[in-house]
Amino acid sequence: MPDFSVPAIEVADLTQRFGSVLAVDRLSLSVPPGMFYGIVGPNGAGKTTTLTAVCGLRVPTAGTIKVAGHDLRTDREAALAQLGVMMDGLSLPERLTATEVLRYSAGLRGLEDGWQGRASDLLEILRLDAVPRTLIVEYSTGMRKKINLALALLHRPRVLVLDEPFEAIDPVSAHSIEQVLKQYVDAGGTVVLSSHIMDFVERNCRRVAVVAGGRVLVEGPVEEVAAGSTLNERFIELVGADPVRPLEWLR
Amino acid sequence: MTGTLIALKLRLFRNGPHDERAFSLVTGLVLAALVIAGSMPAPGRIDEGWIAVALTVWGGMWVFGPLAQPRHDPSVISREWLRGYPLRPWRLARALSWTELLGVGPLITLVSLSSLVVLAAPGGPAAVAIAVAAVPAQLYLLIWAGKTVAALAAWLLQTRAGMTMAAVQTAIMLALSFAGWVPIAAWLLPRLGEGDTALVTPTLGHLPAPVIDVLAALPTGWGYGAALAARDGAGPGAALLPLAALLAAGALLQLGWIALTARALRRPSRRAAPRRPAVPGRALPLPFTTSQVAAVVSRELATWLRDPARGVELRSAWLTPLLMALIVAPTGWSWALPLAGPAAAVFGAMVAINTYAMDGTALWQLLTTPGALRADVRGRMAAWALLFGVPSIVLTAALWAATGSPLGAAAVAGAIAAAATACAVAPLLALLMPAVGTDARDRVYPGQQAGDPTGGQMTIFPVVLLAAVLPGVIGAVSGGSGWVTALSAILLAGAVLYAIPVLTVRRLHQHGADLLDAMASRGAAVVRPSARKAER
Repeated sequence: MPDFSVPAIEVADLTQRFGSVLAVDRLSLSVPPGMFYGIVGPNGAGKTTTLTAVCGLRVPTAGTIKVAGHDLRTDREAALAQLGVMMDGLSLPERLTATEVLRYSAGLRGLEDGWQGRASDLLEILRLDAVPRTLIVEYSTGMRKKINLALALLHRPRVLVLDEPFEAIDPVSAHSIEQVLKQYVDAGGTVVLSSHIMDFVERNCRRVAVVAGGRVLVEGPVEEVAAGSTLNERFIELVGADPVRPLEWLR
Repeated sequence: MTGTLIALKLRLFRNGPHDERAFSLVTGLVLAALVIAGSMPAPGRIDEGWIAVALTVWGGMWVFGPLAQPRHDPSVISREWLRGYPLRPWRLARALSWTELLGVGPLITLVSLSSLVVLAAPGGPAAVAIAVAAVPAQLYLLIWAGKTVAALAAWLLQTRAGMTMAAVQTAIMLALSFAGWVPIAAWLLPRLGEGDTALVTPTLGHLPAPVIDVLAALPTGWGYGAALAARDGAGPGAALLPLAALLAAGALLQLGWIALTARALRRPSRRAAPRRPAVPGRALPLPFTTSQVAAVVSRELATWLRDPARGVELRSAWLTPLLMALIVAPTGWSWALPLAGPAAAVFGAMVAINTYAMDGTALWQLLTTPGALRADVRGRMAAWALLFGVPSIVLTAALWAATGSPLGAAAVAGAIAAAATACAVAPLLALLMPAVGTDARDRVYPGQQAGDPTGGQMTIFPVVLLAAVLPGVIGAVSGGSGWVTALSAILLAGAVLYAIPVLTVRRLHQHGADLLDAMASRGAAVVRPSARKAER
């Protein structure tokens, strides 16, 4: 069972600057353990930049990040050990098969015996065992998401950080991933994810943060944030959508 | 459309990058000036047959240059981008073909070929007119010979057989570059192995007439033949026939290029069938290593054998020293054969100089796994040692045993020092000088840009070469003691294997995230860095 006295993720005054562009502006979040937590926002809002910093893949300009109480700056190895990460659009060891990449990951983490059973389960549930000789480089987008999820779960982390886990995949793959994530959260794990799929966030997340312009606009339980509307309607209301004038040449 | 594409190419040239182009232009112009100077009618001038040799070499560079760099995509205007336009591929390829005439290569070749005009000048205005016509005709043939060979090589690279062929071509070019001079040196200094530095003076003033005839009969010599025929008043047929042949052959090659390019535009590049494992590989039971390092070694070995870009490099690094040995063996310098071993370490280093950039954004997994960075560096080193280091030392010892060369001991010591230095320095330089290309997940065949690591290769080459030479030099300075040579090799190897990986791991800790960022944003960063950042 998770220690409910310590937030799974705690971000305080996170600032990320790229030259003159302020991508994240004193953003603060506290993710309680044992739940789905959604971060939603328009493109360029700073979601991926925030998650990238939480995973230790980017050194923030300012601010602190703690994973299960471990400061990422001063206690990096312990903080990383709590995390399972699934990043969107990045490579893996592309010339390995699914089994090989899981074995590689287990070896890299120095996992004790027992990982083989978990790897078999993940491959079976995610239907990756049907293509044992296929290299990662040949995988479809959906298969990539699945093997990334398997890699993120293999070492039984306390917190999963997922960047756009349902982006550009088919409904069947999305269903498989959703079922695995639900089991993980039911067992006490924490999932922090960014997504544009409002339906998923509304169905599964207990809390949600709406981010725009590098800041948190509103954060809280999904029902409270939605405030009687659907999350999608509330999101557009918060973020603002410019009216689109009629294009005569399309008629 | 041709005009639009030419304007686009000129604009792309103007927007750079300029460094490599400027270097090629200056170097090419200097060489072209030497060719022209050689053709000047002056007292004591060199035999005009050497102009035929120079123009043959120049033409050879057009034809064999693309084969020496099979991974290099010379197209300035992206074919991928053009494929989206609703234009007939053949028409588009035909328009593109005229843009291929623009560039540094055609310009410096044009200057070099103007030596034909200088050569024909003593024959009067008619001869000059023929030579003036021969210059663009010869240029036309050379350009299309080079472009068609390059297009053919790119097409072949999409198959696994093509990969092997590309590796063989690269190995042949490298072996000729590094050992091609040995037969000539062995001819000039036949008893150097016995310590005799007596030089055989060759007679180089005049080339044998049959040699010049053969060179003039080659397509690279047809312009030369036309200019000489015009100068010597051999009749209109002898001068005009080669010109007609140049234009006809050039047109045929241009058609070939158009056909190959239209084919490439019609369908996306197809994937080479990847080398798949018969059964998923097992973890290697490596002695003296942690499970973390063993995992990295297994990953590296699989990647070296399955990644098409690394596969070409691996094969060429293995083949080159063997071909060098084949070139040296029949000469009087067989005592130099064991030196192919240290050379193998040098080539192994040069092909392992860009592994982090080739693995691309997979770096994120190492950066988010506790303790993985140290294991990754050690694992890469161990895999390199297995694939290149140990074989280079074994090759040296075997060639020493086969030849009984007096240089054998120094060569083995040099191979040990070179292998250790390459093993330690390659991962560090891969971090310091990454040549970022297409990300690993999108790189499905070797013709795709995997980054141009020339800078890193030019850096590690002298470093490893110095390490190879150092034990022998120290041994010689200390009076030729074999023990001193061996001890200095072992100490040097120990020092680099101990110290350099520490720096590499530190560099990864400090700048790994920056490297990942550079690789993740490569496409947009190259085009418009500020735009990419503003998107975040």
